[in-house]
Amino acid sequence: MSVGLVLVAHSRRLAEGLLELIESVTQGGVPVAVAAGGEEGALGTSAAAIAEALEALPAPEGVVVLMDLGSAVLSAETALDLVPALRGRVRVADAPFVEGAVAAAVEAGLGSGLEAVLAAAEAARAQPKLP
Amino acid sequence: MSEGASVELAVDHEHGLHLRPAAQFVRLAARYKATIRVTNVTRGGGREANARSLLEVTALGVDRGHRVRLIATGDDAEEAIAALAALIRSGFRASPRSP
Repeated sequence: MSVGLVLVAHSRRLAEGLLELIESVTQGGVPVAVAAGGEEGALGTSAAAIAEALEALPAPEGVVVLMDLGSAVLSAETALDLVPALRGRVRVADAPFVEGAVAAAVEAGLGSGLEAVLAAAEAARAQPKLP
Repeated sequence: MSEGASVELAVDHEHGLHLRPAAQFVRLAARYKATIRVTNVTRGGGREANARSLLEVTALGVDRGHRVRLIATGDDAEEAIAALAALIRSGFRASPRSP
């Protein structure tokens, strides 16, 4: 089983759209969970939902967390405080949401380890979009 | 001891090297030890992509009909080039999975 990903976004639809994109390139070989949106469908992020996604993901080799906006960082950090046992195998990526998640998913699908998947996500920061 | 191989060919997939064909290409490239670089000959500009990086490959902007050059160095360079060229020539109908 490969390294997993958790997609943290303020909008559930945003994260689910990214999940659809990821599944088209990984063919389902990478465990990915969505932790997005606030209570009752409102926009926002929830530390409890992130912690739940991290715990539920079948990814013993580790999990990389991707976030849509910087204001999700606090929720992700709080999630790790809620479940301190997860800290050792979870990395929060400082990466663009879409490119970072797609690059990380491809890397995870190759069977790479946690640090390599994190590096693939963060390398997306320096990747120009235009040819 | 290091070997080298290269090929230049046109990409005829209807969407060029866009997300899904590029992902197939990257997964196949990752099976080989060789270092493989890709350039878009048609577009030019000198940008090179690492064949193992989906974002670099998609950023080459390879559209249908564009010619790409693949350059590999390393022990299995020839096998890598042959496999990647076959994938492109098949129109990405093959669906390689990582081992």
